[in-house]
Amino acid sequence: MTGALAALGPAGAPVVAQVTAIEASLFAFVVLTALFTALARDVLAAVIIFGAYSLGMAALYTFYRAPDVAMTEAAISAGVTTVLLLLTLAKTTRIDHEAAFESVNLPAAGAAGLLFGGLMLTMGDIPAVGSPDAPIWSNPDVTQWYIAETYAETHVENTVMAVLAAFRGFDTFGEAVVVFAAGIAALIVLHREVFA
Amino acid sequence: MSGSDPDVDADAEGDPGGGFGRDRPPRSDGRLDSDRRQGTPYTESQVIMPTVKIVAPFAFTYGLFVTFHGGGSPGGGFQGGAIVAAVVFMIAFAFGIEATRQWLANTVVVALAVGGALVFAGIGLVPVALGGAFLQYELLPIPDPVKYGMEGVEILGIGTIVAGVLMGLFFVLAKGFSDAGGFADADAFDDEVGDGPGVNGDDPASDGGAAAPPPGVTDDGRTGSDASGPAATDGGER
Repeated sequence: MTGALAALGPAGAPVVAQVTAIEASLFAFVVLTALFTALARDVLAAVIIFGAYSLGMAALYTFYRAPDVAMTEAAISAGVTTVLLLLTLAKTTRIDHEAAFESVNLPAAGAAGLLFGGLMLTMGDIPAVGSPDAPIWSNPDVTQWYIAETYAETHVENTVMAVLAAFRGFDTFGEAVVVFAAGIAALIVLHREVFA
Repeated sequence: MSGSDPDVDADAEGDPGGGFGRDRPPRSDGRLDSDRRQGTPYTESQVIMPTVKIVAPFAFTYGLFVTFHGGGSPGGGFQGGAIVAAVVFMIAFAFGIEATRQWLANTVVVALAVGGALVFAGIGLVPVALGGAFLQYELLPIPDPVKYGMEGVEILGIGTIVAGVLMGLFFVLAKGFSDAGGFADADAFDDEVGDGPGVNGDDPASDGGAAAPPPGVTDDGRTGSDASGPAATDGGER
């Protein structure tokens, strides 16, 4: 893993030194669970492995110091989505398969590989993880402004929440209404008038 | 219907021919979450129930902490609401979905979701009424208005919407598709999609449902699936 990432970094950049063992193993875990999710023939197994994938992603987000995203990933993807998918499986039939894994669909794998390769070509232009010179961190008008001004403007320490609830509160209102609408949509699709 | 049981709660008995426990005899102990009512297998587990009893209060407290302390630490209404809803999922898996549904009435779930949306909109509209813009917290007539306005939106708005909607999605997915439509009358439920035509004569909308009823049987008053050929898997219950 380390070698692969090093090869993709810009020449001379010390990418290798930044990939720690924890990071590499989390990456390996996430990639492996993603592959198994795609290839598992049994849907129940795929759902459970997908939950493990989400947990790995949550750990990775925590490692990259994005605890808000990690909490959401752990609660929604690893927890709630898995439960809802299991419930859906309980309402459908589950076929007993002889083979544990799907055979790989070569055209699909080729298309995914091409997309992966194309995205990998852009890796050289992406700043190193945690680089203080990364534009998304160092620009004075957005990130640094929020970090400097959030407490004075809103009196809360959590910049993420201040951005969500205050600086872009109207967007968040729209998102909350979308969540609300999702509940109503489920009722309509399932022909029910109560959550029961 | 030859699949094995989708062990949401591991069912130790095994039921090779069972369409999700429907072919088994109904439980005789009269539990609210018996297979006949719930449609999914539920087994009292001596491991899961004590574990959930111990873990649930802590998880619930953590969810409340994440919600209420979102201003000072990672978290907020969205994450906290999801954790609170996950506690309800845990309780449902340990003690039965139907029992949890009885305990946490539809009114509570709907009140959480609708109340959250109304509170969020209300907090946003108060400044408008006072001559400002939507969600202009500075105008709220409370001390430290920006901080506590945001906290109000996060805790009473987003957190309750997310918790309520997630619980609602859980309960409604557990119940499945309703051919009958209409309000929840537990005895009239028929959970399977393919159970046949809309059987409630007083609900015209159900006849246009996605279940594609066979022609010519839409107006009889049958309430069971005993005569509808393609889905006779649960006919044994009645």
